[in-house]
Amino acid sequence: MEILGQLIVSGIAVGMIYGVIAFGYQLTFATSKTLNFGQGEALMLGSLVGWSLVAVTGYLLMLPIVLAFGLLQGAIVERLGVRQAIKTKSEAGWIMATIALGIIFRNLAENIWGRDALKFPSPLPEAPLSFAGINVLPMELAIVVGAIAMMVAVEVFNRRSIYGRAVVATAGDRDAAGLVGVNTSLVITFSYALSSLAAAFAGVLIAPVTLTGATMGGVLGLKGFAVAIIGGLSSGFGVVVGGLILGITENLTGFYLSTGYKDVPGLLLLLLVLSLKPSGLFGKAAIKKV
Amino acid sequence: MLSVQGLVAGYGRVKVLHGISLEVSEGQLVTLIGSNGAGKTTTLRALSGMIRPEAGRITLAGADITGLPSFQICRRGLAHSPEGRRVFANLPVADNLLLGAFTRLTGARPKGDVLRDRERMYELFPRLAERRAQYAGTLSGGEQQMLAMARALMLNPQVLLLDEPSMGLAPKLVEEVFSIIARLKREKVTMLLVEQFAAAALDVADFGYVMENGRLSVSGPAASLKTDPAVRAAYLGAAH
Repeated sequence: MEILGQLIVSGIAVGMIYGVIAFGYQLTFATSKTLNFGQGEALMLGSLVGWSLVAVTGYLLMLPIVLAFGLLQGAIVERLGVRQAIKTKSEAGWIMATIALGIIFRNLAENIWGRDALKFPSPLPEAPLSFAGINVLPMELAIVVGAIAMMVAVEVFNRRSIYGRAVVATAGDRDAAGLVGVNTSLVITFSYALSSLAAAFAGVLIAPVTLTGATMGGVLGLKGFAVAIIGGLSSGFGVVVGGLILGITENLTGFYLSTGYKDVPGLLLLLLVLSLKPSGLFGKAAIKKV
Repeated sequence: MLSVQGLVAGYGRVKVLHGISLEVSEGQLVTLIGSNGAGKTTTLRALSGMIRPEAGRITLAGADITGLPSFQICRRGLAHSPEGRRVFANLPVADNLLLGAFTRLTGARPKGDVLRDRERMYELFPRLAERRAQYAGTLSGGEQQMLAMARALMLNPQVLLLDEPSMGLAPKLVEEVFSIIARLKREKVTMLLVEQFAAAALDVADFGYVMENGRLSVSGPAASLKTDPAVRAAYLGAAH
């Protein structure tokens, strides 16, 4: 029983990371119906930039710099890879372009930081806290709190500020948003920037628990994508639930079956959701009335 | 206020407008009538930048706005209540109205008192007041039409383009919409109104243009168009 509890609790932290990555996919999908398939690389870059900074600045001061870096990196992806495809209404151009940019970023990172895994110093004590026999790393708690705080902040921005409402309006009807004076291509650039910010933030949250390195992004980006599909690309907090489901089932499978099958249940779930409820477990059908 | 010369526009290779010239003076209500597919909606879409004109020149208050993207045209004071209403279904009514004033709230246009103007919209369209917290996607067609008009008015526009505000509405609501248009006219809002209800449009307008196959055929003061035999036969129903 204690082992089961332990497996669930450790699954939560990594599940939240999947949720944040999936949240990033949602942000760009909402405004532009496109995705950054280099989302995992955005996470990796944020994490490695953070790794280089943290020794100099400390963890707290590193955070805003990494977040700003994420914004910039996402904006570059949109300008170089996505904008032209949207303009010409290309169906697949953005897919190839964001994958290509992801590979370029990974090569760049391999040349700067090498190919080996790096240890990211933890800002919090590394001794686990014990609750009823279940061990929790302080950093795992920080992941959960940080991830939720970031998603709530974006939601509050969208609901309360006029610029956030402009983002929601662009997601609802791009042409109509243009008619009320919203520069919708800037909104799309912004949503890419915010999406990479989320990934970079996830990168510096997870790195002290795992390790960091130029190759960490691929698998995480893919799992975040699975979570976005499971939770629903348009369902707000559905990705949190989707992330937790994936994080926990991975841990359970790894322990009770074999670590070799760790990735299978998530992908099975992905296939199941795609065939039974393609809008995602929590995806809502668009409200439309004629 | 709004001046159009030789406007040519369309969708891809299909040209819809073949050289349109029209004028809307300050404080005037001008209507554009014509049968389905004549190019009325396309004209408005080209004016507000939803599609890019291929030729011609559009000026708003003396400034050339030809070929600008729609958000920049909006920032110069042109509001467009488009065909199909195009309200933000995923936002509440109150937020739809605030977004109508997006350029005022973000400093691109004089701010004024946005919240007071929103209250004014609730007075003008009482049904919107009742539904202010509801998502726009859950409104009836008539309510969405009113919301689209109110959202456009929230700009405090120099020129307001209205595309078929009576489309799909029950007769009682059509009457209500036209009485609101008449009231806006008394308040000296400059408007270009596209309508299929030609008779009602000519009743309320100062000046009218008749559109046929992407060209303007007849134009003149609304009162004289109403009595023009050709216009009566084609658009008003000869029996009137």
